[in-house]
Amino acid sequence: MLTAIVLSMLALAPIGLLARHLPRPLIGWVLALLPLAAFAGFAARAPLVLEGGVLIETLPWVPEMGLSVRFSLDGLSLLFALLVSGIGTLIFLYTAYYLADDPGMGRFYVYLAIFMGAMLGLVLADNVLLLFIFWELTSVSSYLLVGYKHDYPEARRGAQMGLLITVGGGLALLVGLVLLSNAAGSFEISEIIGAGEELRASPFYTPALLLIFLGCFTKSAQFPFHIWLPNAMQAPTPASAYLHSATMVKAGVYLLARLHPALNETPLWIYTLTAVGGTTMLIGAAIALRKDDIKGLLAYSTVSMLGAMVLMAGIGGHDAPLALVTLILAHALYKGALFMLAGAVDHEAGTRKLSELGGLGREMPRTLVLTSLAALSAAGIPPLFGFVAKEELLHATTHSNLAPGVEMLVVGVTVVAAVLGILYAWRLVSGIFFGPAAPRKKAHVHDAPIGMLVAPGVLTLLSVILPLGLLPMVSALFQPAVMAIAGEPGEVSLHLMPSALSLPVVLSVVAIGSGAALTRFVKQISAAPSPLPAWLNGDRIYDAAISGLLNGTTAFTRAVQNGRLRNYIRYSLLALLAVILTPLALFAPGNAPVPDLSNITLPEIVTALLVPLAILGTIRARSRLGAIIVTGVVGAMVSFMFVIYSGPDLALTQLLVEVISTVFFLLVFAVLPASFQRLSSAATRARDAVIALGIGATMAAFTWIAASSKLFPPISAVFKAEALAEGKGENVVNVILVDFRGFDTMGEITVLFIALLGTYAMLRLRPEADPTIAKMRGKTEPDAGFLGRRGRREMGIGSRDGHENGQDGAGAPAPVGQPGGSQEEG
Amino acid sequence: MYESMILRTIARLMLPLLLLLSLFMVVRGHHLPGGGFVGGLLASAAIILQIVAFGPDYAREIIPVNYLRVAATGVGFAACWGLLALVQGQPFMAARWLDTPIPGIGKLGTPVMFDIGVYLTVIGVTTQLALVLAEEPTLYPLRRSPPPQTEPMAPEA
Repeated sequence: MLTAIVLSMLALAPIGLLARHLPRPLIGWVLALLPLAAFAGFAARAPLVLEGGVLIETLPWVPEMGLSVRFSLDGLSLLFALLVSGIGTLIFLYTAYYLADDPGMGRFYVYLAIFMGAMLGLVLADNVLLLFIFWELTSVSSYLLVGYKHDYPEARRGAQMGLLITVGGGLALLVGLVLLSNAAGSFEISEIIGAGEELRASPFYTPALLLIFLGCFTKSAQFPFHIWLPNAMQAPTPASAYLHSATMVKAGVYLLARLHPALNETPLWIYTLTAVGGTTMLIGAAIALRKDDIKGLLAYSTVSMLGAMVLMAGIGGHDAPLALVTLILAHALYKGALFMLAGAVDHEAGTRKLSELGGLGREMPRTLVLTSLAALSAAGIPPLFGFVAKEELLHATTHSNLAPGVEMLVVGVTVVAAVLGILYAWRLVSGIFFGPAAPRKKAHVHDAPIGMLVAPGVLTLLSVILPLGLLPMVSALFQPAVMAIAGEPGEVSLHLMPSALSLPVVLSVVAIGSGAALTRFVKQISAAPSPLPAWLNGDRIYDAAISGLLNGTTAFTRAVQNGRLRNYIRYSLLALLAVILTPLALFAPGNAPVPDLSNITLPEIVTALLVPLAILGTIRARSRLGAIIVTGVVGAMVSFMFVIYSGPDLALTQLLVEVISTVFFLLVFAVLPASFQRLSSAATRARDAVIALGIGATMAAFTWIAASSKLFPPISAVFKAEALAEGKGENVVNVILVDFRGFDTMGEITVLFIALLGTYAMLRLRPEADPTIAKMRGKTEPDAGFLGRRGRREMGIGSRDGHENGQDGAGAPAPVGQPGGSQEEG
Repeated sequence: MYESMILRTIARLMLPLLLLLSLFMVVRGHHLPGGGFVGGLLASAAIILQIVAFGPDYAREIIPVNYLRVAATGVGFAACWGLLALVQGQPFMAARWLDTPIPGIGKLGTPVMFDIGVYLTVIGVTTQLALVLAEEPTLYPLRRSPPPQTEPMAPEA
């Protein structure tokens, strides 16, 4: 059932493309049935979970790696699954109106459905590897959604930033989860949670926790990784409301809550989360107050609330888990609504800037009412659900496990953030709907269509009626979720009105009172100059880092790949030397086998000695033809070596390869000057000689050690014994090639073929080789082929650059091929 | 291309012999030295001999096949016989053999057919590479007329 929901959501994503054809708003209602069905599915399972049961489904995937498709539905997962599918339904509806005129709406629905499947998978996964896969899938779908308007550079930048930060954090998370699983001995989350004691004692605890924190903080936009979230506001508003406020950004919070029972209660957990969450809450609220763009304001207020959630995951204490789930629900309800309403304002008024809005209350009364209610909930004003959440938040901060001094600080920060929350909520509503009307972008602004207000209306209505009559139901829903976070059963009962006058109530009254008092100065506060220096700006630092990275890699590539083949060879050989020599130098001394030279015969000595002689001959050769022929001696001797050791197949193959490569050499070198000339300095040649000798010595040592070490019994005996019986052939070499190691051969012939395609494309599909291409491109410089002018000159093919090669090019006849070809060139 | 009477006479004589030898190598490869790889090299050596003696145009003329296609067919052919086992529920490329030997050839099975795929691939790749080099206008500008450099250039758009 759970598996079916998640996988069918992913599989059915393409039906979003229907939106291309059918009448626009109607198709949204049809497509919304998809998430609605998922919502109904989870709601049907709810009674089981609310009674304390856990629904688990397992499907083996890669059992060898401990990877299984294992989903479980407990209280925490249920809460998130209902949020994801429920808000998803509303977002699907809203999108149909918001993007009614957009030709790409079908694509948008596909991305949304993929995201929904991934997010459901994330919150239901009971296997850390599976969770990671869905985690990254949400990042990818967020990238697609933010970059939806990909013809705008800001959208591309926002998408890229979100992807780099969240996927980078995701990689850290993967390492952390693997460490954690190793320490716990299982990849199943339920078993990891059960192994809490061992985990906290394990030496992997600290690194694993820090890496997981990195993943969660990047995903949930915690300071200083929060910068991607405001930039993700380039996404169309439905995506902002859904991913970047109600669901995806809470994934980090979800994981912290999920692992809470196993990992909490250590100072590392408590104080890291408290510091990061508290800082994020305060900074987010402060920046939100200063934003002119209403989506930017909402984005930073989301950052602030995410900080509050991380704080709740960290501070510990009996009441923090309840505060956390209450915050999650309250925030999803009011922030989802506010985003959709902001989208409606943008849609109707044509701008999202507070400085260009104002006085819209008369034209957009319905939007005004809904926005006001949602903003009141955001500000934590009774009797809305946001108030209940803020009460719980203050209650939890005053009953935490923190040291008393730190607790005082946290309480203070929370109250300040609450005051700021009231101020930015007020600024949002008053800036859009009240005050003097700014010059309008559109001539006739009218209220948003009813269909567009259905989705935010439902969410706002919930914010209103939940605290007024349904708190027992909400408490019942929270009960198993709180149990999953706290790791122990406990009674949950939410109240709208406090039963007694306690410290949290006083703090709440203080916050509301000072917030209300300060609203008249909101313009001055939000316009105050920033106390931070200009360079201390996350966006700037990010841009500098990205351009620094690009410049650095460009410079490196230019240095390494400068078009000179001899440099490529040198760098490759040096890299090879480093890779082989390092382990060799570390492990070989002392372990080096003693060579056994007693059985050596005269033919072997002669053959072996001829190889270095031939190499010397190649180096000393005056003419190219001579060098090629002497090189052939090396191949012939290797081939002869195979004959001595009775490998006729290898000898035959080696000989043929030698013959054919000689022909290839001749074909290529035919047009080069017939004799060599020294262009490199003595120092260069000495350096190259050292590298060459080093490579030769290293490879010789490597081969020697590899051949004489007896770590494992050689496999050749098995091959010999099995060749006829299993491979039905007497030629062991061939049986190995086509049967025992047939898969390797398959790969090799594929590589051969790809090499051919590459060579063919490089040599044939260029303008000089094909006059039609030259004509098509209208090329003016036929000389700049795949080698380019400079490369060709270096190889001595000076066809148009005058007679740089002097008498070598002109006088000497070509060794083979076109007679006189060389003269033509020179 | 090298205008030598001796080379050309021998090359003409050797072509059928070398091609037959290459086929022989493939067929006997499973029991005696030989096999698809060696056979393929031999066959393309035979064709390369024609390129050296008579030039690439002649080599294309006497065996008019598209070697790029031969190489692609070889890879595909080899892969296809690996799929047979997959259809029968065995791992990819598990060997399947006919029960009765074919007279003159011996036992037939997927590894033998796979070897033929290797043979075709090696012929195609090696020969096509030689042809690409031999027909390269930068290396051999006289072979094609007129050379692209002297063509009137299209005006820049």
